[in-house]
Amino acid sequence: MTALWIALGIVVLIVLWLIMIYNGLVAGRTQAQAAWSQIDVQLKRRHDLIPNLVQVVKDAMGYEQETLTKVIQARNSAVAASAAGPAQAAPAEAALSQATRGLFALVESYPQLKANDNVKQLQEELTTTENKIAFARQFYNDSVASYNVRRQSFPAVMAAQSLGFGPMELFNMPETEREVPKVALR
Amino acid sequence: MPATDFVAAQKVNRRNTLILLAALTALAALFGYLIGWVMQIEAGGPVGPVSSFGVAAAGALAIASIAWSGLSLAFGNRLVNAMSEAREIGKEEAPQLFNVVEEMSIAAGVPMPKVRIMETDALNAFATGTSTSNASIAVTRGLLNQLNRDELQGVVAHEMAHIANLDTRYMTVVVVTVGLVVLIADMTLRSMAWGRFGGRFGGSRSSDRRSGGNAILIIVLLVVAVVAPIAARAVQMAVSRQREYLADATSVQFTRNPNGLIAALTKLTAAAAPFPGVSRATQHLFIVNPIQTFTANSSALMATHPDLADRIARLRNLGG
Repeated sequence: MTALWIALGIVVLIVLWLIMIYNGLVAGRTQAQAAWSQIDVQLKRRHDLIPNLVQVVKDAMGYEQETLTKVIQARNSAVAASAAGPAQAAPAEAALSQATRGLFALVESYPQLKANDNVKQLQEELTTTENKIAFARQFYNDSVASYNVRRQSFPAVMAAQSLGFGPMELFNMPETEREVPKVALR
Repeated sequence: MPATDFVAAQKVNRRNTLILLAALTALAALFGYLIGWVMQIEAGGPVGPVSSFGVAAAGALAIASIAWSGLSLAFGNRLVNAMSEAREIGKEEAPQLFNVVEEMSIAAGVPMPKVRIMETDALNAFATGTSTSNASIAVTRGLLNQLNRDELQGVVAHEMAHIANLDTRYMTVVVVTVGLVVLIADMTLRSMAWGRFGGRFGGSRSSDRRSGGNAILIIVLLVVAVVAPIAARAVQMAVSRQREYLADATSVQFTRNPNGLIAALTKLTAAAAPFPGVSRATQHLFIVNPIQTFTANSSALMATHPDLADRIARLRNLGG
């Protein structure tokens, strides 16, 4: 009889342990998903801001420069790629960052653009959006990394895949992207 | 993982807040007991070490202290913001500051705090809040005018670290409770001065036994009035230095750019000056101490902030 109770106790403990592991996986996945939606918000905001800045720059210069066309093209392909998930969106977003850097350099080299209040304001908004993307990406990648470690640890690794806890993708963009705001504001 | 650091720091701060409040409640009870004991001697003495007046007064002050602790957790952040004359602003008033705060709240994974401005040319900043959801970050007008974007980001990240680590809860409670100890001590000393004054005019009113009671009362109150604030402040300061190192390190973890904070700290320390809204009770909240000047011996026992050179050296070790 005692042995039965002990066995029952062990079973209950194991079940509680499994529930904790399951809840940990759910919490990790939820945090990573929330972090991804933050990146998504900022990427969309960048897609919305860029046409405004391009328009203001075009008006101030009086003609459409090659840089501006490139930025708009990069922006449009990033918008097209954004629905497909982190892995597909990353290269397009990285190319957009590159093009944006060109736009900032253009503003830097024309004093009448640098002095324009509209340009200044849009440049600050775009700078902060670039930063928010970088910081949200940092937070997302940290969350994904700790979730992936958790789902590959024993004993979660035996059941994670079949319970629907698949691996999540990191969102990697070229590191040079962090330099953008520094170039822009000096 | 960064998340674990926050969890550990938050746990320590929750525990320290409880210990502080319990210690202050014990101090209040002891203080009450001494008053009650002396009052009983005055009223009819002699009494032994166990005094019924003392127990009653100790209980009353302990309850008052617990009530005050609850109030300080509920309203402490509002009180601190009112004391330091920090006005809440919207995005249109300082878009860049607002953007930088938003960036750091994303990096820290905490809700967007309120943004406040103190109208002074001095360079300083502080954070308050008893949880991550009612926090606010305040900077001075001078800081906003004289720092570039990277430096501002370093300072805001430092303040965001205080919020994410829940330092703000502990520090806010310290302001309100240590402030109360100082207030009581001041009042005690002042009432003693008035009492002597009144006695001189009242002349023959006091009997021999009464003046004996008065002597004990004066000694007890003098000891409490002098020792209590010093003890309270030593605790406040010793703990606050470790927090500054941790917040500096966490700041770099958020921005991945130690140079912004290094440049900002250099500018801030060169311009550190007292301004309206800073008092002995709130000095430990600020990113650089507005009252003390930084000298080689400022990492002594009573300093609220570590020596600047020490802070910068530690930041450079992080890869700056």
